[in-house]
Amino acid sequence: MVAAETALAILRTRLSNPTFAHSHLKSSSESNYSKLKFIVSSSIAEACNNSVLLLGPRGSGKVAVAELVLEDLKAEHADEISVIRLNGLLHSDDNCALKEIARQLCLEHRLLFSKMASSDDNSQFMIDMLRECGLAHKTTIFVLDEFDLFTQGKQRLLYSLLDALQTLTSQAVVIGMSCRLDADQLLEKRVRSRFSNRKLLFIPPSADEMQRLIEHLLYLPKDSGLPTKFVTEFNSRLSNIISDKKFKEIVNSISAVDGTISNLLTFLFRAVSYMDVESGFLMMENFKSAELCMQKQPKIDCLQAGASVLDLYILVCMNRLEIKERNSYNFTSIMKEYKAIHDAYKTSDNYAFTVCLRAFEHLLDQELIGFVDSKGHNQSIDFRPVRLLISSRELYEGLKSNPLSPAILLKLFDHESYK
Amino acid sequence: MANEETKTLDSTPRRTTRSSSSSLSLSSPQKPSLNPPNPPPPSLPTDLLFSAQPITLDQLLSNLPGRNPQILEVLRLIGPLNSPTQPILLYGGVSTGKTSTILQVFRYLNRPFVYASCRSCYNPRILFESVLNQLLRHRRSRSSGFASSKRCERASEFVDLLRDALLRVLNELKERRGGKGGNGEMVYVIFDNVELIRSWDKSSLILCLLFRLFDILKIPELGLIYISSSTPDAYYSMTGSIGPNAVHFPEYTLNDLHGIFMRNQENPKLYSSFLSVVLKPFSRVTKRVDELATAFESLFRKYCEPLTDLKLFPDERMKRRLFDYIQPHLTASLNETFDVPVRSSSESAKDGDYTKKGSIRKTVGGNDSLAELDFHMSVSAKYLLLSAFLASRNPATLDAALFDSTGGSSSRKRKRKSSQASIDQNDHKAEEILIKGPGTFPLERLLAIFQCITSLSEEALEEEQLQEGKGIENATVGLMSDVLLQLSTLCNANFLCKSGSCPLDGSRRYRSTIDEDFALKVARSINFPLSKYIYRR
Amino acid sequence: MATSPTASDPPSSPIAASDTADNNLQPFFVLHKALPGKSEKRASGSGRTRRKIDLSASSPKSAEKSDQIPPDDSDAICEKLRLEAFERTWSKIDSTIKEVLRQINLNLFNEVLQWIQELFSIIKSSRTTSLSEIQRPYPLLTDALCRRVPAAFVFTKNVEFVDDLLTFQDLGVHLKSNRCHVASLSGLDFLAKHGIGGCVRSLLRQLVSDASDVADFAVLASWYCEQENYNNPIIIIIDDMQRCNGGVLGEFITLLSEWVIKIPIFIIMGVATTVDAPRKLLSSNALQHLQPCKLTLGSPAERMNALVEAILVKPCSGFSISHKVAVFLRNYFLRHDGTITSFISALKLACSKHFSLEPLSCLCLGTFDENRRDEFDAFPGPILRTAFDLPSCKREKISQGSGTSITQGLSQLRKLQRSWSSVVMCLFETGKRSKMQLLDIFCEASDPNLQISSMTRGIPITGKLGSGKAGFIAQAIHRVRELPIALLPHVLKMWSLHMKDMNEVIDKVKELQSNIASGDGGQLYKEKWTDIHKRPVYLGARKGTVSVNDKAAMLLDDMVRKYLTPIECAPFHEIICFGHVEILQSALIGDTRRIIQVDLLKPQNHLRCSCCNGDENIVSPTMHDTSIMYYLSQEYGDVINLHDWYQIFKVTISTPSSKSRKRLHNSPASKKLKTTPTENEAEIQSRFCRAVTELQITGLLRMPSKRRPDFVQRVAFGL
Repeated sequence: MVAAETALAILRTRLSNPTFAHSHLKSSSESNYSKLKFIVSSSIAEACNNSVLLLGPRGSGKVAVAELVLEDLKAEHADEISVIRLNGLLHSDDNCALKEIARQLCLEHRLLFSKMASSDDNSQFMIDMLRECGLAHKTTIFVLDEFDLFTQGKQRLLYSLLDALQTLTSQAVVIGMSCRLDADQLLEKRVRSRFSNRKLLFIPPSADEMQRLIEHLLYLPKDSGLPTKFVTEFNSRLSNIISDKKFKEIVNSISAVDGTISNLLTFLFRAVSYMDVESGFLMMENFKSAELCMQKQPKIDCLQAGASVLDLYILVCMNRLEIKERNSYNFTSIMKEYKAIHDAYKTSDNYAFTVCLRAFEHLLDQELIGFVDSKGHNQSIDFRPVRLLISSRELYEGLKSNPLSPAILLKLFDHESYK
Repeated sequence: MANEETKTLDSTPRRTTRSSSSSLSLSSPQKPSLNPPNPPPPSLPTDLLFSAQPITLDQLLSNLPGRNPQILEVLRLIGPLNSPTQPILLYGGVSTGKTSTILQVFRYLNRPFVYASCRSCYNPRILFESVLNQLLRHRRSRSSGFASSKRCERASEFVDLLRDALLRVLNELKERRGGKGGNGEMVYVIFDNVELIRSWDKSSLILCLLFRLFDILKIPELGLIYISSSTPDAYYSMTGSIGPNAVHFPEYTLNDLHGIFMRNQENPKLYSSFLSVVLKPFSRVTKRVDELATAFESLFRKYCEPLTDLKLFPDERMKRRLFDYIQPHLTASLNETFDVPVRSSSESAKDGDYTKKGSIRKTVGGNDSLAELDFHMSVSAKYLLLSAFLASRNPATLDAALFDSTGGSSSRKRKRKSSQASIDQNDHKAEEILIKGPGTFPLERLLAIFQCITSLSEEALEEEQLQEGKGIENATVGLMSDVLLQLSTLCNANFLCKSGSCPLDGSRRYRSTIDEDFALKVARSINFPLSKYIYRR
Repeated sequence: MATSPTASDPPSSPIAASDTADNNLQPFFVLHKALPGKSEKRASGSGRTRRKIDLSASSPKSAEKSDQIPPDDSDAICEKLRLEAFERTWSKIDSTIKEVLRQINLNLFNEVLQWIQELFSIIKSSRTTSLSEIQRPYPLLTDALCRRVPAAFVFTKNVEFVDDLLTFQDLGVHLKSNRCHVASLSGLDFLAKHGIGGCVRSLLRQLVSDASDVADFAVLASWYCEQENYNNPIIIIIDDMQRCNGGVLGEFITLLSEWVIKIPIFIIMGVATTVDAPRKLLSSNALQHLQPCKLTLGSPAERMNALVEAILVKPCSGFSISHKVAVFLRNYFLRHDGTITSFISALKLACSKHFSLEPLSCLCLGTFDENRRDEFDAFPGPILRTAFDLPSCKREKISQGSGTSITQGLSQLRKLQRSWSSVVMCLFETGKRSKMQLLDIFCEASDPNLQISSMTRGIPITGKLGSGKAGFIAQAIHRVRELPIALLPHVLKMWSLHMKDMNEVIDKVKELQSNIASGDGGQLYKEKWTDIHKRPVYLGARKGTVSVNDKAAMLLDDMVRKYLTPIECAPFHEIICFGHVEILQSALIGDTRRIIQVDLLKPQNHLRCSCCNGDENIVSPTMHDTSIMYYLSQEYGDVINLHDWYQIFKVTISTPSSKSRKRLHNSPASKKLKTTPTENEAEIQSRFCRAVTELQITGLLRMPSKRRPDFVQRVAFGL
């Protein structure tokens, strides 16, 4: 029981920080980790400037790898490197980026940082510091997360940074990370010419890598204060599950949607959090339910559970209008269609204008339908052109699976030749 | 609170007598003993914990009927004490109990958390500052001019300040660990109504920041929980496809609704019989709890009207009687979204016919064309309104046909001719009008039509004035003069709306927003033959 | 006729007026409508006064005229008297108006206050929250299914909300005095471009005196927790909801709904038109968060009745108005803008005009209350004597007399007016039930012709009810006949109240009352007859009630015959009763566009110049440039070619008037141009430009647009 809880805690801790997941990739020589480490450490060793881009989809572990590398380098030669971290989300504005750089430099070298300093002072200060560090054979490593966001605007920061790197005296490494594979194309010419376009591509791991990763993540370590009996029991059960081909299918389906490691982590985290503390072991069911949660289709859920009958009516009316190749239509024409349906088949659900309008607004809130144009607010809501945001197939699924959708609707939906 | 409110509200007539005493309590100065003005800021973590007494799991589950699977899932994802968690996203339609669930959950867990609703905090600065205020346990006070603890507008500032504040709080928690470490070493931050951020400016940056806060801060003891009424895929485009763990709150099923409405009812039997009547038909129109609640609240009062005492248990016969009684009200309120109850006493002041009219209006919006206009409006304003209606209803090309100097006498046949001439385009034009809605018109056209109408309606005014012994020309002058004043009046009353200016020459264009039966009502009040001038296609 | 010895002799006066007008001609006189000659003459006597108290657009010439004439002392005295008389009278009327309106609004205010107190007591009983809990950012966990903000829609039954702005201010003051926190927002706080920040900011600025710059709603919470603010409701008054931006208002409401139980917030919204207005304006989501309640303000008609009763019918001051003026005011109220405000201002205008134009008007107050009789003695004889030249006296052949006969006449006038007003009130009492407006009855009753007509017609007035268009009085009397006997006693009671100082009527009424009480089982029938519309019962019981009802009708009828003598039929009525409609008309309904066009086409009426006194519809070069231009522009469609226009203009002004007619009739653009000397070409052009500009300023032209640089557009709507 206690053992189970601690085990759960261990697993959650592992899964919720990505660096652990990547730490086991250190071993393989061709991994991005070793490449990056080689680049940086070589540039430290021969005291030269360097710059590298880490490109890959979100969650493929760029940051994690960089962190690992930096940790190791700090461990190896502690006082020869100083790391400056910037994030495109926070510091895309040049002035505040320069300020941030100055602040961190001051922090690193225990200098006094003045908030009042103008951006010119800051950039000047940065260049001086770089020179000083170069003379003192200290390498400054700039880590620019969300690199593509720095390329918006006039790219003054990148220019001044990379320009400073051109001088022989300075000694710095710029590590850019971006989830846009064309990040280097975004650079201006003057910047790109100063940028040694060395790129590391992060590709999703292959199946057996994934396999090993999972084992690495989920197997309980022998040396954590847990009773060995429990650990062996746990791991053996786990190995059965992992070796199960059903499990392999699940993992494949997950990675088919999104093969990145972080996605895998999310999946495993869910599975682990479903772990039953009483029994204390991971079950196959945990993974199955986790998969179900991962593969939700919100809109269809919305249709199945959420939509009331009136909502369905309106959706079907819109669908019919779209089938009739009406290029644009609005609530008024929808109401016309609705009334037409009720004149044709005397249904019980013939409601007043205001009620339909309310249902219409609900659909807008649920984003099952949307306005065609963002502007045109001066016009009243019932004349602005709208369109469906769900495919007619989704709508059909929803209609069929919704328990209280009347049969007439399916009929109306089906034979579209109704005039 | 449907039940809650019904309880209170159908006791209002009794309260009216007591209102005097309440007014006393209003006007008499408060006793300070009741409410100490500002209690000393309690020490951590009670300030970050849920304020009320913690509850047991059973209470938690029983408090929120129909939400048990979601509660359990949330609990699992949040995990046991001191275990880190990945960001969680609760999504589901409006009033599906997202916020109350998470709050109840934290009441049960009794762990420190921070709550910020993007509705109350309607711009980034307020959002940032409110989060920081809570973490720093800052209390606004008059002495400090109700200022917040830190001034923070930039995202970068926010991240730095947030990191410091979090670390401080976490250290305090760690220190308290020796004592009663009941509430763990984790701090959770809840962002509510995240979907609203999309309408802010620079929304993509802020959303991206919020959703990646966990990666940026790299503090494992921080748990992030987002609440959104729109589905997760609404955010994919902005954050890239990495999403937090999503928990879906589906709309309530009928049974859930029944369970919700049956909570703490006095006389549950009666109410369940009531629900058995109303719930099913209403759920066909809407399944949102709040709308159902407001609808039921007034209906249940109606339902109870025949009853002498609300305590007795209805048998079959009585149920049927009640059903027959409620039936008409049921259909009425099915078609009503927003009914404004009339204060009884205010009506008693008026003479009798008001209540009648009120009831007519309350049935269904729109179909009370029989009721006459019940607000004052000067005649020239009425004419102007009608001419505006015609101007945006009729195509401008037909003005010459409809209004000529001789007036309406010959206009009918002319109209028919013109409409026959262009019979092929009519349905197309109808479509167009259906799409475009009421058309816009320049001021000149409006005034021209206005003058035609008034000159036509002279006869009516004429003899009425003869019996008053009054010159005729005065009337037309009267109607024609200070038209622009009336125009602004109508604009203020939302009968006309200024739409964009015409691209060719920069003159303003107007559009009338009134519907036809209202126009007919107005026309009837000044007995003007409106239907003659409406261009029927 | 003649008012003062200065402009005494009728024949001479118009000439005098006109040539003084010629001496100082000012350009805008072309655009100005001249006041009628009569009033001119009256005005001329009292120039000095008018400059002080005149409200209408007055022409300065009268003032200057009075400077030319040496004012004699008696004139000065009575001017002073009139001035102070006006001030006293108007202050009286004004105070009465304020009182009446306050009374009407007061019950609404109490209504609102009661509503607040009820809901607030409910909230206080339901919530058991500590202060720290209120300041928490998350909403309270009551078992509430929906959080709704209590909102009262106050329906001001008038499209114009001018009157109601004041009402809502008073409401705010009233609530403040009852220990509520009041913040009044207007449509300007809910603009789309400021968004929700705007309204929250102004809300905080009004409530929280020393708030920081950022408009955070949490500030309000912590402010509310301050000791002195706690436990009092917060009222938000939005006086004109329909001018708000719907989106912003909706956001604001949903924002409030997050705090609603923690902070007791109440919204009061003024809605001008119908209950559909909020439904149209707000999204269903926002409506969902309102807990609505409907309150109705006294409709303008009711207010008007109250005002007319207080001011005109039972005059609080001596001043009253003639039939024509009354009809005019009524039409102005119904047709133009049905605002009490404009009605009052019109009344004030009439009042001031009366005192400025009517030399004897200072006797008003004298007629009103007895104890000011001594004023007459203070009066110079000649002026009093002029009283007998008043047309009314001439008609009644009242001979030349001393002040005493005037006093008699006035007191008798007052008596007559009293009885008249009480009869009118009786009529209104009966007419009220069929929604008659007092103003209508007033108009009809004050019609001097009514008297004669009803006298000559031997048949009771109700006889003409057969034809659909019965007068209001006739309707009222007829109404008495079919009055259910249950209501009759009440009506009779009201009558006896109104008629309290006319004994013979009182006796009749008493007799009626008695034989209702005793009369054939009135008691027994009462409950049946409470409802008029039950025809069968009514008919069945008719023979029972016919006597009583008819008696009542008869009584009312001969009340009308006896006492309903309009004030204009009495001698000396000019002293207290204002009759110049034209002045009001020109002041209130200045139909500027039309008048401008008329004046431009017929300039001779104003500048009575000798040169162009020819027949009206030809242009002569001596006319004012602008009017020439406008004249010429008549020949074009809605666009005018500037070049042609200029050519014709040049031709017109550069040819002697004698031949101009012929030249105009054949081609306008003739080749007379070369003869015109070129040196004044520039001058002509400048005149042309100035004329065009003037036409544009007066709103008859629109300047050339980018697309058609050499065309101006006519934006006049014809006459």
